[in-house]
Amino acid sequence: MNVPLEPVAQLLPAVVDFPFREGYVRSIIYVSLYVSVVAVTLSTLFSLPIAIVMGFSDFRGKQFVKSIINTGMGFPSVVVGLVVLFAVSNQGPLGSLELIFTKEAMIMSQFVLATPPIMAITLAAITGVSENVRDAAHVLGGTRLDVALVVIKEARYGIATAVLAGFGRAISEVGSVLIVGGNIVSSDGISSTRTLTTAIQLEARQGQYDTAMVLGAVLVTIVLMVNAIVVRLGDEGAMR
Amino acid sequence: MVRLSNVTHAFGGETVIENLSLSVDPGEVVAIIGPSGVGKTTILRIIALFLEPNSGSVTLGGQGVWSLSEDERLRLRRRIGMVFQEASLFDATVERNVEYGLRVRESWRDRLRDELWSVVGSNGTPESVTEALDLVGLSDKLHQEARSLSGGEAQRVSFARALAYEPDYLLLDEPTSDLDPRNTDLIEDAVLEARDRDIGVGIATHDMHQAERIADRVAVILGGGIAEFGPAKQVFENPADERTAKFVSGELVY
Repeated sequence: MNVPLEPVAQLLPAVVDFPFREGYVRSIIYVSLYVSVVAVTLSTLFSLPIAIVMGFSDFRGKQFVKSIINTGMGFPSVVVGLVVLFAVSNQGPLGSLELIFTKEAMIMSQFVLATPPIMAITLAAITGVSENVRDAAHVLGGTRLDVALVVIKEARYGIATAVLAGFGRAISEVGSVLIVGGNIVSSDGISSTRTLTTAIQLEARQGQYDTAMVLGAVLVTIVLMVNAIVVRLGDEGAMR
Repeated sequence: MVRLSNVTHAFGGETVIENLSLSVDPGEVVAIIGPSGVGKTTILRIIALFLEPNSGSVTLGGQGVWSLSEDERLRLRRRIGMVFQEASLFDATVERNVEYGLRVRESWRDRLRDELWSVVGSNGTPESVTEALDLVGLSDKLHQEARSLSGGEAQRVSFARALAYEPDYLLLDEPTSDLDPRNTDLIEDAVLEARDRDIGVGIATHDMHQAERIADRVAVILGGGIAEFGPAKQVFENPADERTAKFVSGELVY
């Protein structure tokens, strides 16, 4: 039996965008992804070299630094939001940059939140690389940089897990982005600093449960996809 | 010639080797024998320019190694290969493992080009890689993942990896201690082949029979220092040192 698909396909955008202006939901998804992806990318570039240096060297207070990073994983996001808000507010140290209620401010707070899990998991992955493999790279004529590259390659599954875990935290975060971003939609109905999480919070509070559910489904789908990849990578890493 | 003179080294306040002098010439096999825990690995690591001794001198071709700058030392270091007791292969194909030593010696531009090529396919296997794998009888495993190899095969790949960039000296740390007789034979044959190519081989082993089979000169390490160092025949058949005589006859057991 043939089921005509056209009517359903025509309905889809109406369902997703209902009862908003065209492009509203898409712009929310875009802001969510943009802020999280940029923050996680910056955080990875920041965390990786530090994790490598920490993994390679022994210094006084290393355990202390590690416990600070681990504490950071459980840090309350609203407090992070509050601190970033103070920093970017007119009287704050970054006040002159006028970042308050912008995506950049949201990236800053997401960066602070994503860095501890990314750094901790990366560090665990790097210290998990056998010392023999590091020594082998060295005696085969590798420079310090070569050895570091070998370690990154060996720890690639762990590092990928770290990045995705950081992304999972950033994309599903609500408290801090609400505080520093302000949940703003511009006059043409396009999201400026509204993310999936802050939109859901707003819709639910206004009693628009159906739209909140649609947005929730989109968010859950994204998070599930990311987590599925994390589990898959973990399995592949464990098989090696 | 790579030479250690009056070398002393300690770990955590405990002296492991004391006032030790030793040399390896091109085209000879020097076996370093002794019971477990006397510092054979430490000696090899010092010869490999991997570990700086607390005191004494290490020279390669007459050049004092540890007074040089890091770049100059890297140049000397790259004339030496080392194989550890455990294979320590990278999580990659056999080919990528064996060509590693060649790759780190290339310019960054060439390396980047190779990396890009490896994404779409292969830009050919360097001849010395296939040759080195041939020598250990594993040229058919070129494209296999290293983690799928057996212990003996992994150790042979590890040997090929150290040989592929044609070092002047090759150091082997108990390379056959975990291997079956067949794999042991293959490694020993490869060691003799390396010697015939004028490579100076230093091999640490607790297997005296192995030393007798392949070594030209033997250094017997007992209790931190060299008890005897000389031609294999002399050490095994007519040792000058009393403790060596007991050790090689199996009387002195640690």
